[in-house]
Amino acid sequence: MSEERMFRIPVGPQHPALKEPINFTFIVDGERVVDVKPRIGYNHRGIEKLMESKTYIQGLYLIERICGICSAAHQGCYAQNIEEAAGIEAPPRGVYLRTLIWELERIHSHLLWVGVAYHEIGFDTLFMYVWRDRERVMDILEMISGNRVNYAMNTIGGVRRDVTPEIVDNALKALDYLEERTKYYKKVTEEDDSILARTVNVGILKTEDAKRLCAVGPTARASGLKVDVRRDDPYGAYDELDFDVVVYDTCDLTARVLVRIDEVLESIKMCRQILQNLPSGPVRVKFKRKVPEGESISKVEAPRGEDLHYVKANGTEKPERYKVRAPTLANIPSVCEMLKGGYIADIPIVFAGIDPCIACTDRMLFIDVNTERKWMWTEEELRMYARKWYKKHLKEVVRERWKC
Amino acid sequence: MRLPARFSPELLRHVPRKPATVMYPFVPVEAPEGFRGKHEFDIEKCVGCGLCARDCPSGAIEMVPDERTKGKKRPVIHLDRCLFCAQCEESCPRGAIKLTKVYEMAGYKREEMVVTAP
Amino acid sequence: MEVLELILLILATVLFPGVVFCTYYALFLEWVDRKFFARLQNRVGPWITGPKGILQPIADIIKLLAKEDITPNGVDRAGFVGAPFFALTLALFSLMFVPIASTSGILSFKGDLLIVLFISTVFGIIIIFAGYVSASRFSIVGTARAGLQFVGYEIPLFVSAIIPALIARSLTLKEIVEWQIAHYPLILCFPAMIAFGIFIVCSLAKLEKLPFDIPEAETEIVAGWATEFSGKKLALFRLSTDLKMLLLAGLATALFLGGPAPWGFTLPADLNPYLAALIYSIWFVIKTIIVVLIMSTLKAAFARYRIDQALRGFWRYLTPLSLAILILTPIVAYHFYW
Repeated sequence: MSEERMFRIPVGPQHPALKEPINFTFIVDGERVVDVKPRIGYNHRGIEKLMESKTYIQGLYLIERICGICSAAHQGCYAQNIEEAAGIEAPPRGVYLRTLIWELERIHSHLLWVGVAYHEIGFDTLFMYVWRDRERVMDILEMISGNRVNYAMNTIGGVRRDVTPEIVDNALKALDYLEERTKYYKKVTEEDDSILARTVNVGILKTEDAKRLCAVGPTARASGLKVDVRRDDPYGAYDELDFDVVVYDTCDLTARVLVRIDEVLESIKMCRQILQNLPSGPVRVKFKRKVPEGESISKVEAPRGEDLHYVKANGTEKPERYKVRAPTLANIPSVCEMLKGGYIADIPIVFAGIDPCIACTDRMLFIDVNTERKWMWTEEELRMYARKWYKKHLKEVVRERWKC
Repeated sequence: MRLPARFSPELLRHVPRKPATVMYPFVPVEAPEGFRGKHEFDIEKCVGCGLCARDCPSGAIEMVPDERTKGKKRPVIHLDRCLFCAQCEESCPRGAIKLTKVYEMAGYKREEMVVTAP
Repeated sequence: MEVLELILLILATVLFPGVVFCTYYALFLEWVDRKFFARLQNRVGPWITGPKGILQPIADIIKLLAKEDITPNGVDRAGFVGAPFFALTLALFSLMFVPIASTSGILSFKGDLLIVLFISTVFGIIIIFAGYVSASRFSIVGTARAGLQFVGYEIPLFVSAIIPALIARSLTLKEIVEWQIAHYPLILCFPAMIAFGIFIVCSLAKLEKLPFDIPEAETEIVAGWATEFSGKKLALFRLSTDLKMLLLAGLATALFLGGPAPWGFTLPADLNPYLAALIYSIWFVIKTIIVVLIMSTLKAAFARYRIDQALRGFWRYLTPLSLAILILTPIVAYHFYW
């Protein structure tokens, strides 16, 4: 059958299965998926451009809002990056607390994902249980930082709050509960027939494909690639912590679920180590608002994979250029590979398998809807375009803005 | 071992249990200590330096003229623009802005969504 | 006398145990299902509308009735409007055969079990029809799945429903119920208890509930065959699904649990007929609720199967199993029950 005559199913940008603004066109033959065409860019918010008009302090809270789930990963990466560019170093207690938030966030993100995965395969009961238990880690985070999602914990030169002994006690108690529950979920995932029926040998991404398509994070680790920024290029307090990089080599969805569940257990182990061996001293050093001219790069292992930040400073209070490469973008080619040859019924769970975060992904890709032409712009071109566009449309924009 | 309905003992254990749902609007929930909620502003301590407005990432703080402070200005915090990062609390040299545990702050008008001195 | 009987018959058809009772009771069963399902998931379920949320299903229906009714371009108009009405009418009609307030249904004749089973098959065809006329991609995928699943579950469902009839040696619901009153509920008999299990599993597939909600899997194909239906039509479909649940629970009660007759004692023959009707309906309610609770528990314990896995399950395990007990039943029954 020629491709034109095959059945096309559009999925997204609004679809009950993909809670993310992305569009896939699936070409299907009966229940089988023959080809996949992704289209991203629905959620472009111009954050990188906006960063250029914010001071480094203000940027902390803007960069945090790239993504709701891995807010601490982005913010911590940003703080680390600016610290390096400005040549200051966070005190050990600050670094430990920063790492604590990163790991607690990983627990909450992975548990959220495990719940979503159960929901995608129609196992709503486990979904409810996992999310109920996830509330415990959210409570710890709220206790430490003052908010459940956007922790605003990091600042340039350390962290903004210290923990009290009561918080440490409460957190350790909650971690015990979480460990017990997580072990139970691992057992269920390994043994329940209806879960295994939907995950074993589904969404295969072979090791060499994962390498070729540059998969990152748990997606890569479930395909047998041992990549983890925490181990490969230690930052924060990771070189002082004892943890294992979880790798599974079955390359299917079961591996992706188990990698994340095991990582939760590893994170719980790390959180215990941090809480029990917190160094004393201050949590932050002073930051003098201005960053000397220069460039810097910083990498963080976000819950979804490698998160890369780049800054170009020009000696003022504001960055000249800020660039973010979030992990999901790196995983989109992999997910297309996984979806091909599968069933329609497996689309949601396979797509969810990379733990997608489109809010993180959409940055600088331009798509002309009419011609389907895609292109990338350099900064200079974008600036020229913006200037031209504003010259032409300024009046309308101003009118629009002042109308209400 | 692969079992069908491996999960059922756990399921039946939940029948007599109380639901985990938080009955929020009917049963009030208290936020923990240190929660970043609605601001509290103390005009006595304010010196009108405008540091809070300079550091506010979302431009939620507006400085309006006021004779009572040294800098002849006082901040007006627009809660509808605020993202509750508590940077103003951190930037204030005199501790005039404090974030409280109050999190219920819906209003019908924009004018209601403001924290400032009377 | 003639006139009085006619009035009573009309009252029975319209009010009790006919249309009105069945509709409200079906909505009540939906509430029981939702509440218990929520309990298993450690949630509260509906709890605002009415005491403990008991009015929530009615409120849902009323809300849907009040909503805008959209007929998309390109649908087959007559079929699109007709399908929900067909579904509802057939569901109500088939409930007339279920014994609720006495040992027989409002309508009862020789071989009515076959009619009920036949109508329950038509439901499947209506679903396929409704998805087919709505001309949407999701509906078509949902319809294809509904059709595939339909050929999977119909045979075991039929065979498992025939086994009680074999043991009671009658195809009339009334006589099956009376056999059980005279002897014991059929669920206690050896091959019939397996048939009961098969019947419940196939009922879940017929009602498109987890783990067989494949034709309307919301995380995969939006709402499957029902995607394009909205407003009043969706309300009618929702109602007919609830009525179908009542029908299947009622059939399971009549065939396996001894019908509306009480367990443990028999009603004296000279009892006031109105009092007898009351006792019968109370026991009917108790037994159908038990069946619905079993269904809810099964729903909560599984993940959704893929269509090929579900079909493999039906064809490889349930159909041979049901046929095997179909062959076994006369042999066992000859030795022990006849």
